[in-house]
Amino acid sequence: MDRWDLSNKIERFVPGEDLLTLQPGRIVELEGPPGFGLTRLGYRMLADPSRQAHVVALDVRGWMSPLAAWEAGVDHDRLVVVRCGDPRLWAQVAAALCEGVRAVFAEVPAGVKDADIRKLAALARARSVRMALRPLKGGLATGVSYLRLRSVEIAWRGPEAGHGRLAGRRLVLEASGKGMAGMTRLIEVEEEGEDAVRVVPGLVVGEAGRAAG
Amino acid sequence: MWFPDWSLGRPDAPQGESVLVVDQRVVAATSDLFEAGVRRGMPRREAEGLAPGSLVLVRDPGEEARRFEAVVLAIEEIVPRVEVAEPGLAFVPVKGAVSYYGDEDSLVETVAGKLDGTVRLGLADGPFAASWAARMAGPGGHLIVADTRGFLAGLDVSVLMGEGGGVESLIDTFRWLGVTTLGALADLPRQAIVSRFGDLGIGMHRLANGEDRKVHPRPIPPELAVEARFEEPLEIMDQVAFAARSLAARLMVGLHREGVSPHRVTVEVEAADGTVRSRVWRSSDPFTEQALADRVWWQLRAWVESDMAGGGVVRLRIDPTDISGDGRQLDLFDDATARMEAERALARAQALVGPDAVLQAAVQGGRMPSERVAWRRWGDEEGVLERDPSAPWPGATPSPAPALVPPEPRVIEVEWDGGIPTRVRLGSRWEPVLTWGGPWRLHGRWWRDEGASDRYQLVTSAGAFLCVYREGRTYLAGVYD
Repeated sequence: MDRWDLSNKIERFVPGEDLLTLQPGRIVELEGPPGFGLTRLGYRMLADPSRQAHVVALDVRGWMSPLAAWEAGVDHDRLVVVRCGDPRLWAQVAAALCEGVRAVFAEVPAGVKDADIRKLAALARARSVRMALRPLKGGLATGVSYLRLRSVEIAWRGPEAGHGRLAGRRLVLEASGKGMAGMTRLIEVEEEGEDAVRVVPGLVVGEAGRAAG
Repeated sequence: MWFPDWSLGRPDAPQGESVLVVDQRVVAATSDLFEAGVRRGMPRREAEGLAPGSLVLVRDPGEEARRFEAVVLAIEEIVPRVEVAEPGLAFVPVKGAVSYYGDEDSLVETVAGKLDGTVRLGLADGPFAASWAARMAGPGGHLIVADTRGFLAGLDVSVLMGEGGGVESLIDTFRWLGVTTLGALADLPRQAIVSRFGDLGIGMHRLANGEDRKVHPRPIPPELAVEARFEEPLEIMDQVAFAARSLAARLMVGLHREGVSPHRVTVEVEAADGTVRSRVWRSSDPFTEQALADRVWWQLRAWVESDMAGGGVVRLRIDPTDISGDGRQLDLFDDATARMEAERALARAQALVGPDAVLQAAVQGGRMPSERVAWRRWGDEEGVLERDPSAPWPGATPSPAPALVPPEPRVIEVEWDGGIPTRVRLGSRWEPVLTWGGPWRLHGRWWRDEGASDRYQLVTSAGAFLCVYREGRTYLAGVYD
């Protein structure tokens, strides 16, 4: 097998940009601690749907900044930030949004019942809502998400002992779930400053895993 | 022609009892319930609260369409080209028929004589005025409007409700401006309406002037019509339903590609015995895929259940006969239906979390990320920006912007060694600083006793942070999440 054959094989496994595109009715879970680049990834996922209709960022902590969302490509006029930190109210608010908004990126507060999240996922599927959920503590229950992206590592480029500034980053994610045909793979996402996030092709490391989701 | 209580005529509605027919809202009710305060369009729960002992029936539009088909056929014997808006409401162009029957009164009396005594007939220029004439006619009566503009002038602006997405807030704005009747609205110069309220405003202004929606004389390419032929005639209702939905979806896909949406469609079927039937359905709002599929299904059900498609359906065709560029442009720029649905959902979210928690933002000038966002409540007009975004703002924090910005800077523990950050405390653990950018000096406003501060970008293995060092303390100003 020559080099081109090998690259073609890899390319078929690499989901590429599709991984960072929200699909109607399919939940994407973004799992990882703050600082690992998942909020910006969620914004990036809202960018495409925002060209057609309003999109919502459901903000639990009141910290979400639209500046980063705009940099990630979300339409200025179509981003609405809904703040709800009460876990008892959160599911109701998220469900209300699912009734009419085409794409939602939602932080999930600790304390929301699994049953509520399952109901929300069923509603999102029924209403063909594009949805990314970012649990602030732990992960979502099995079977809720179509694709789970768990942050593994982040590396920044730019500053060097006081010189320079943040210029770009590489984010290593573990992708699993139905969206990865039940297998677990590592992918690298690269971001250059204000440019849109992109998946670095050919850097996927295949890893056997149990079917999940 | 409007039958206000058409939904009550269903076979399972008992006579002499209080009956409420509901969807999510009240569709029809017996007269005693109206006396108790129930109104059409009222939320179901509210109506049930007012009439606790009444029998509540869920609306079945397919069954209503089946019964209404007989009415439509009766009207067609007098006037052709009947257009159905919904079961119980139909429109018909009368220009030719008036000439045939001599005058409008004779025509109306002939039609009324053919129909049930509960029908209300309205005759005016255009469907909007005609439907309101029928509403004003009173039970079993009719109203012929000679001066459509004059008739409409006396109506409250609330009659525009339901004539397009976002019209509710427009009506509120009209009221706030003191424009409370359609007459007052019609008197406003059209140019002023266009510049202030855009397309929606001009649509409402046209209605107020009795002009109805402007039909765009754009040609309809023949390939936009969709047709399906069935080798085995469709007789089972599930098969018919599936065919209706899939063909409606095909039509909408083709229309989306052209960037148009239908206001009127002709549904045509050919039965196995060779009979060809067609019916026109119309809507003031552009049909959505769901709305169109529903109407095609109701129509087919009416024909099949009434044995008017002998031997089953062998051909089904849907022909858009009036298309416009309004509404359904899902794949292009904006989508009126999506906007309307989003507005409803956000209004519901506002009701749950309060108006101050549903926000939109605009970019403004500033040196810190928190300063550069001008928040406003969702639905509020964009106000005057506090800081000019086009000004140079020297010393502004460089991009990329942190994805998470605390509302107020928070104290964060950072260990310094000779002016160099070495460790950051994150929760219960200390993370070593791998590298950092800065300091960038930020001069405070001395006239407000603000001291100078230094900004740093600190990079750890757990992420990067924007920090501000001021008067011996370090504050977290953003997380590059």
